[in-house]
Amino acid sequence: MRITRKTADRNAGLLALLLASAGLLAACNTSGSQVIGVYSGRHYNTDQELYDRFTAETGIKVKLLEAKDDALIQRLRSEGSDSPADVLILADAARLDRAAHLDLFQSVDSAALEAAVPADLRDPNNRWFGLTRRLRAPMVNPAQVQATEVNSYRKLADPALKGRLCLRNRRSVYNQSLVAFMLDREGEAATAAWIRGMVANLAQPVYGSDTPMIRAVAQGRCGVALANSYYLGRLQAGDKGADDQKLSAAVQVVWPDPVHVNITGGGITRHSQHPKEARRFLEFLASNKAQGGYAAANHEYPIRGFGNDPVLSAWGPFRQADVSAARLGELNGKALDLMTANGWQ
Amino acid sequence: MSVSPLAAGDRPTWQPGRRLLSFGALLLALLALWPIGGLLGEGLQGLLNGSAQLGPDGGAQLRGTTLLLLGTALLGGALGTANGWLLANCRFPGRRLLRVAQLLPLASPSYLLAATLVDLGSRQGLRIHGLGWGVLVMALSTYPYVFLLSTESFTICGRRQLEACRCLGVGPWNSFRRIALPLALPAIGAGIALMGMEVVNELGAVQLLGIPSLSAGILQTWQAEGNPAGAVGLALITLCIVMVLLVGERRLRRSSRRWTEGVAGGESPAWPLQGQRALGAQVLGLVPPLLSLGIPLLWTARNLDQLRAGFSGELLQLTGRSLGLGLAAAGLAVAAALVLAIAKRWSSAAWLRSLTFLAGMGYAVPGAVLALALLLLGSPWRLAPLLLLLWGYSDRFLAVAKGGLDAALERLSPSLDEAATGLGCRWPAVLQRIHLPLLRGPLAVGALLVFVDTVKELPLTFALRPFDFDTLSVRVFQYASDERLAAALWPALMILTLGLIAALALIPGLERQGQDQAPSRG
Repeated sequence: MRITRKTADRNAGLLALLLASAGLLAACNTSGSQVIGVYSGRHYNTDQELYDRFTAETGIKVKLLEAKDDALIQRLRSEGSDSPADVLILADAARLDRAAHLDLFQSVDSAALEAAVPADLRDPNNRWFGLTRRLRAPMVNPAQVQATEVNSYRKLADPALKGRLCLRNRRSVYNQSLVAFMLDREGEAATAAWIRGMVANLAQPVYGSDTPMIRAVAQGRCGVALANSYYLGRLQAGDKGADDQKLSAAVQVVWPDPVHVNITGGGITRHSQHPKEARRFLEFLASNKAQGGYAAANHEYPIRGFGNDPVLSAWGPFRQADVSAARLGELNGKALDLMTANGWQ
Repeated sequence: MSVSPLAAGDRPTWQPGRRLLSFGALLLALLALWPIGGLLGEGLQGLLNGSAQLGPDGGAQLRGTTLLLLGTALLGGALGTANGWLLANCRFPGRRLLRVAQLLPLASPSYLLAATLVDLGSRQGLRIHGLGWGVLVMALSTYPYVFLLSTESFTICGRRQLEACRCLGVGPWNSFRRIALPLALPAIGAGIALMGMEVVNELGAVQLLGIPSLSAGILQTWQAEGNPAGAVGLALITLCIVMVLLVGERRLRRSSRRWTEGVAGGESPAWPLQGQRALGAQVLGLVPPLLSLGIPLLWTARNLDQLRAGFSGELLQLTGRSLGLGLAAAGLAVAAALVLAIAKRWSSAAWLRSLTFLAGMGYAVPGAVLALALLLLGSPWRLAPLLLLLWGYSDRFLAVAKGGLDAALERLSPSLDEAATGLGCRWPAVLQRIHLPLLRGPLAVGALLVFVDTVKELPLTFALRPFDFDTLSVRVFQYASDERLAAALWPALMILTLGLIAALALIPGLERQGQDQAPSRG
């Protein structure tokens, strides 16, 4: 009998635990009246503050789901017309273009957006709009590599850099977009030779992320690395602590002329139930009052101008290449094939 | 295949209750297999039309996964078994503490371990990269599976034989090799199979360490190349590897079938260790948890200045969600595993046995692919994302709950059930009065493992959670993959804390298990 009673007690305990956990879960769900659903590949705490400001201004609530960009695209596809998402925000032009080709966006008619976002940083059919700019550029350790040695992307393949170059792997969509950029400017044969040249110059096996690579530049284990500007921005601004700030001070960004520009952008989903509210949301993000906050959260550049981030100001101005973001997306597949075929791991 | 306790000869007359049990098991197994089955068609199509091709890196990916699997099984299996034996059957200073410490690595997600290791290394100018580091990280974060299952077996099995060894002057090493190890092989095999499935599906850590892997290939095919059929085809290949693992484990288990009488008699035949041997045992027990927990903590210590900045009230919500999901998933998975295991024990029907075996396959399917299956399944029915998420967790972690339970049930002699049925008990009574009390340990271990796994789980949570429903692991991975580890600090510490609480909750169970063996106190 003793065992039986104990078991019964335990069962009751288990049941209570299950109910309690169900309660916990239910308590975490919220709902509202005028609401838009946003799928975002960005995840910065300051984004939430910005969305809260949007809600305060317009009364439209923002439900947020942040995940990796590719996973969001996949989720939106599987959900089809039942999707609760109204806005999709993705990092990198290639992904925006892919989402557009999968027919996940609808065309947006907005004078405000067209005025705020330059034509080459939005979709020609107005399905997506750039919201911030990010630059992929050489970063050098001046003790090992002079700025003049790498002031164009082409020079990174120069045999003089042998044993001094570091690259991230080819899975990085940022690298793919850079190769797409070169493809557009230089053509296939020259880009293939450029990739082979860079691979021959590698000082280390390719990296899986940008930050350790930039540290390796600072430590002198790489002379020059190709990285996205905001990774260095975070280090130099002290976002990653005083040690990293000190270490990264030695690293110098070199702007090639012209520089390859990529974007974070967003659009309204094909099956949005609230397209009007979603449009207001995009207009808000592209507007001057939101732009500073949206780009500065990650030390990115606003969609126009250079912003007022002190770290970015120190790097000085640059001349933006005229390859459109849409073109980068178009060439992505070819770029990836070329990287694979020419030994970029 | 194990023998049903009542399969031979004098089976009692037809019992409606047992039909109900079989039906329940059938229902659960179908629920578990439904999403996977749904993908089978698409996967086969992918294989047939040739889109399930490994990329140009296919060879390297296959090699990477295989080597990682072998290395981790060797290193992690050895660590888990050695600690399982030493901490169960040897006595040395600090044993109790170390026993608990073996559970700590469970609290530390492998992607967090890899990310902090890479980050610490890059600050010191050390490049953490490649297969060797991958084996280390994966072995450290998965060996507790082997430890938990093997130590339980070492504690319970073969006490009389071990006593005989002692009487005959056979030392601890030979007793281990000749008696305890063969007896514990089913449990070790089950542990290694769980490890293997975890390794095959690991994504975050292997990508950070630059190891080419099938899991990365699947994700690439699916998401970046937009080819779900090809991805599922590749997942089927992975599934085959896991099948080989599982079948191997079952064969191992069959060849070493031993039964105990539930509570084996005799005082614990513990070997006292002294001097260098004790020191060796202490080092072996201390180093793995010290590394797997210490590296993230060391990283925290070096970034203390950022600890204050990253704290926000949201942390409480994140923790609440993780806790709720973990508890719900643990309850569901353990309940389902119990029904399946008991139904299998009472039935000799081959189809039921195969079904219960197959029901655990969810663990072998990459989380992202399982998520795709559930999304496809749930969309037409408009199932709530949370429901899908819990379904996914239970499906995926059923094997975790079932592994220990099956091994423990197989060790229970059928004579126990026969005696009970002979005395007029039906299966619910046998379950309540015999099986449940004897399975307390494995049930607690199973629930703990599922809880901790759920709290750490990524791909399913990522893909299936509803709006505004981030969990701790989601935050950690998002920040870590965005190379902003400092922002991941608080959620990561909370995961560690939840894992620690779960591990501590298990201590009374482990201790009781030890005490139950001594009849003088039972």
